[in-house]
Amino acid sequence: MIHESRLYKVLRYIFLAAACIFVIVPIIPLIFMAFKTGAEYSSTSVLTPPRNWFNFYNFRYAIKVGNLGKALFNTAVILAISLSIQLLFTTMVSYVLHRFEFKGKKIIFTMFMLTMFIPVVTTQTVVFQIVYRLGLVNKMPSIILLYSGVHIVGIYIMFNQLNAIPKELDESALIDGASYFRIYRSIILPLMKPACTTLLIINGIGHYNDFYIPNLYLRKNVQTFTVALHKFFGNTATPFEIVAAAILLGIVPIMIVFLLLQKHIFYGLAGAVKA
Amino acid sequence: MVKTKGTRFFIFTFLFIPVIHLLVFSYIPILSNIYLSFTNYNGVNPPKWVGLRNYARIFTDPQYLQLFRNCLWYIIVAIPQLIFAFILAIFVNGKFKYINFFKGVLIIPYLLNGVIISTIFIIFFNNSGTLNSILRLLGLGGLAQQWLQNLRLVNPAIASISIWRYYGLNFLMFFGGLQAIPTELYEAASIDGCTKLQEIRYISIPSIVNILFINIILSISGSIQVFEIPYIMMNGANGTATPVIQIQQSAFYENRVGFAAALSIMVFVIVVITVNIQRIFDKRGNVYL
Repeated sequence: MIHESRLYKVLRYIFLAAACIFVIVPIIPLIFMAFKTGAEYSSTSVLTPPRNWFNFYNFRYAIKVGNLGKALFNTAVILAISLSIQLLFTTMVSYVLHRFEFKGKKIIFTMFMLTMFIPVVTTQTVVFQIVYRLGLVNKMPSIILLYSGVHIVGIYIMFNQLNAIPKELDESALIDGASYFRIYRSIILPLMKPACTTLLIINGIGHYNDFYIPNLYLRKNVQTFTVALHKFFGNTATPFEIVAAAILLGIVPIMIVFLLLQKHIFYGLAGAVKA
Repeated sequence: MVKTKGTRFFIFTFLFIPVIHLLVFSYIPILSNIYLSFTNYNGVNPPKWVGLRNYARIFTDPQYLQLFRNCLWYIIVAIPQLIFAFILAIFVNGKFKYINFFKGVLIIPYLLNGVIISTIFIIFFNNSGTLNSILRLLGLGGLAQQWLQNLRLVNPAIASISIWRYYGLNFLMFFGGLQAIPTELYEAASIDGCTKLQEIRYISIPSIVNILFINIILSISGSIQVFEIPYIMMNGANGTATPVIQIQQSAFYENRVGFAAALSIMVFVIVVITVNIQRIFDKRGNVYL
């Protein structure tokens, strides 16, 4: 490693500290607000800490009125099902496209690749009609279906891993009489675990945070967590300190996941970029 | 591998559902959208061919041109965003005390969703909000503004939220690129008596030019697809609507599906052109991402 001068080290800490302030400052008033009473909210500055840090009234109220528990459960169900299907299909497609030569392979690969030119937002006028005809609007399977597609980014992540698995491994298994399905399940899948983790993290964060699709397809009855949080906006009767508490609750699940998977998230995301 | 009937069957079963999904939810919709963009389809009656009328509206009506002009603000703020992310990546790349703490804090905005970020920045830009309070605290009360009501300031104000929201993604990409540089390169440079500044200038920057390029393209194509922040914070009011907000409005509230399709195709074309700019510069013709 190249010697880092004292000046460089000092500069680094100054810059990083400034960056952290830049990140944290907008969030602090939200945290303050969530613990304030209604009267306190209207009479104090946003920069004033709450008088009582143990005032959990806003949180209890937000959970009850916003049905946040149910919404979080819905999101968990949608994520669990759609991520499993997507992971399964992504590994299947990647295995076949990486290990086999067949007619039409190039066309299929190109088709997957070209989808990165088709932003989701440009197709929903028609996709909505399709989902509507299937009778799935306002039902959970609608977004599970939309989230289950195979993306080229996923295929690239899998390819990276497959490059590292020697072909001789499959071939010797084939000679031993294993079927292709058996090879996929017992050799390829277990060895692709790191790539699968990366994919789960990327799409898990993406789908958990998605607002566009659930806002379009789940307007009534079922709500995902993001849509439930957004409902607080439409209802102007909700006091803003309650909204703040709801939003703060919205940060909690993702922070828990983040703290549990910190290492994986950082290197998974950075690694996906390298892919 | 040996080709048998069984092989073909296996390939077919593994690809069948994902390819159908791809056709039904990506290709058929984009192709029907191209057709619908030339019709007056309202979602109920059979579509009637109207030629280029929908496109003519987009190009002549100032109300719709404004949608695309708003996107320019999101492209402009991408410049400081990328510079900030790049400097961060340079500083974080290395070994030093508290590195994990800094990484943890810096990644927070990237993990938050649009509703959360919108709320944070409603509080931030409100009249008695964070920004104005800080300005007053610093004795700069004269600069305090009604950020979200001032028609000239509202678009740059909410566009600048993208810096806070997305720099983390750019930072991660730059960081990933820096981590991929072989350590031998640094060691060799170290033996040759290379300074930190020279290292950045001659090793780090050239190694991640490609990633910088991908980031620029992602920023531009993201700018044309902006939806969440102006929709949640402003509901598209005060002249903050974007093409995607208008697509949703036209298609699902005004029953102007044909017009929404034309807008969608405009966004689609701009994204295709943007992503392909890279091909012009990258002679090797590689496709990244």
